[in-house]
Amino acid sequence: MAYFIQLIIEGLATGSIYGALALAIVLVNRATGLINFAQGGMAVLSTFIAYALFNAGAPLAVAVLGAVVFAFVLGAVLERVIVRPFERGDPDTAVVVTIGLFVLLGGLAAFLFGYEPQQFPSFFGAEALDLGGVFVSVRSLGTIVVLIVVVVLLQLLFRATKVGLAMRAVADNPQSASLSGLPVSRLLMFGWGLASVLGAIAGVLVAPQLFVSPGMLDFVLVYALAAAILGGLDSPLGAVVAAWFIGVVENLAAAYIDVIGNDLKIAVPFLIMIVVLIVRPQGLFGRKVVVRV
Amino acid sequence: MNPNTTWQKLTRNLWVRIAFGVAVGVVLIVLPLTQSKSINLQLSMMAVFAVAILGLNIVMGYAGQVSLGQSAFLGLGAYIAAYGVAEGWPIPVIFILCAVVPAIIGLLVALAAARLRGLALAMVTIALPIIGIPLAKRLREYTGGAQGTTVSWLKAPDWVDGILENDQWRYYVVLLIAVVMFLLARNLVNGRIGRAFRIVKENEAVAIAMGISPYRYKVLAFTIASLYGGVAGFMYLGIVQYTSPETLSFHTSINLVAAMVIGGAGSILGTIFAAIYFVLVPRLANEIDPSLTALISGTVLLAVLFLVPGGIVSVPRRIGQVVRAVRRRIGPPPPTNPPYPPASVAPGAESTEKKNERKRQGQ
Repeated sequence: MAYFIQLIIEGLATGSIYGALALAIVLVNRATGLINFAQGGMAVLSTFIAYALFNAGAPLAVAVLGAVVFAFVLGAVLERVIVRPFERGDPDTAVVVTIGLFVLLGGLAAFLFGYEPQQFPSFFGAEALDLGGVFVSVRSLGTIVVLIVVVVLLQLLFRATKVGLAMRAVADNPQSASLSGLPVSRLLMFGWGLASVLGAIAGVLVAPQLFVSPGMLDFVLVYALAAAILGGLDSPLGAVVAAWFIGVVENLAAAYIDVIGNDLKIAVPFLIMIVVLIVRPQGLFGRKVVVRV
Repeated sequence: MNPNTTWQKLTRNLWVRIAFGVAVGVVLIVLPLTQSKSINLQLSMMAVFAVAILGLNIVMGYAGQVSLGQSAFLGLGAYIAAYGVAEGWPIPVIFILCAVVPAIIGLLVALAAARLRGLALAMVTIALPIIGIPLAKRLREYTGGAQGTTVSWLKAPDWVDGILENDQWRYYVVLLIAVVMFLLARNLVNGRIGRAFRIVKENEAVAIAMGISPYRYKVLAFTIASLYGGVAGFMYLGIVQYTSPETLSFHTSINLVAAMVIGGAGSILGTIFAAIYFVLVPRLANEIDPSLTALISGTVLLAVLFLVPGGIVSVPRRIGQVVRAVRRRIGPPPPTNPPYPPASVAPGAESTEKKNERKRQGQ
């Protein structure tokens, strides 16, 4: 039983990392209707900034803060300079643009920092807590707490601030928002910056485990995409719940179903995703889009 | 004396086309006889990836469904061929299996995935290489696990002994397959099915109104793409004589998509440019600095999307557009009337903006 609970908590922790990146994907999708394949690449580059600052002697907190600021600027600039011209164009082309960014950012990270995986320290240390026979690492608990804090902050931003209201207005109807005098262009940049920060948080959280390398988030990105689709692509809460669900289910499946094991556990979220999408094409929490011709 | 129309007239002349085709054919046939083994290898690889990219172009460029799983079918074809060679099956049987089995798998995936709106399909297709790699490692007795399988086959037969080396023979085999696959694809996209693909890409509601089921044609396009991927896998094993889980790599899929867009989406000729780009540019980038490869491909892809969205194949047309735009801005307007009336939007036609908006919402 203790082992079972441990598996669930570890699953929630990995799920939280997928969730942070899934949230980023959902934010971008809500704001600009795009699926950003470069979200992982942006996060990797930001994580490398944290790594570089830390190695230059900055305290860990400062290094992470630097990465967050860098991520925000990177997201905003990429939206304005590269993605903007394609936003209202053909969505297939826009996807290829983000794929191009994915390749470019990965290449940039490799060029600047090399392919060699680098160590990165954790905020939470490596100890484990004994909670009545259940051993839980502080890192797992910390990761889960960070994601919950992020979700609460995002909800506050969207529900209780004017910027959040304006962002929701732009997501809902950019034309009306623009006609009501909202600075749509700046809000889109802000939305991308915010999404990029979420990615950076995911990157910094997972870096101690996976090490920092240009391809470190490739798999996390795939899981995050699965979570975002499963949650419905326009529901932040749905994305987080789906990410946790994926994290837990794949952990349990790997532990208890012999055929799956550790190497094939990545198939589990996709099988779930395909089954769910066949039953509910709009995802678990998504709105059904009805389009007039 | 407009250079653009002269160029168009020239390219539309039947005799010019035939002469050009014959010239290209002669070059393709003579080239391997004169070149080194490594050049022949690269030429053969271009034929291999041309077929893989052609499949991708049918599903993405013509039917408008983003697929990031093409490398999975390439790998599947290569593995089937490797298994068949190890078991000593006759080569025609291997070839048919390499085409049919990936097509069936693609059909099954598409039956589920094509139900999804918009880009969700892209994300389901990502799963194929991602799951395929651990699966290939797991099924060790068939695939050779992480080390992969090496085979020795498709050698020059006895009757060309002393005339053709193995590499030259293999080049001719893959070239022949590629030419046949290209002719089939050309007929497909120019025919009824190709027109249906284009309508599904353009506007699914219109397709339904015309009695064309978008679902069925998406499934068909994806199945054909898988078949092409499998055939490319057969060719790949013929040239490389080795396959490993790396063949399926997700990055190969991404690079195939990038190359297809750079060459020209929705263009058969563009596919050839795409294959040349796919094989040549990483090699050139590698010569400069191996760590630059990804940076260069990303930059080229974005530059193409910004400057020539139609890909390399549209460069002449794009230059014409730019030249005309510049002339209009700096010089006096040309004295003669344009040969065609200026294109105007038909009263009932919807704006591109509206169309894209609808497409984004997954209709």
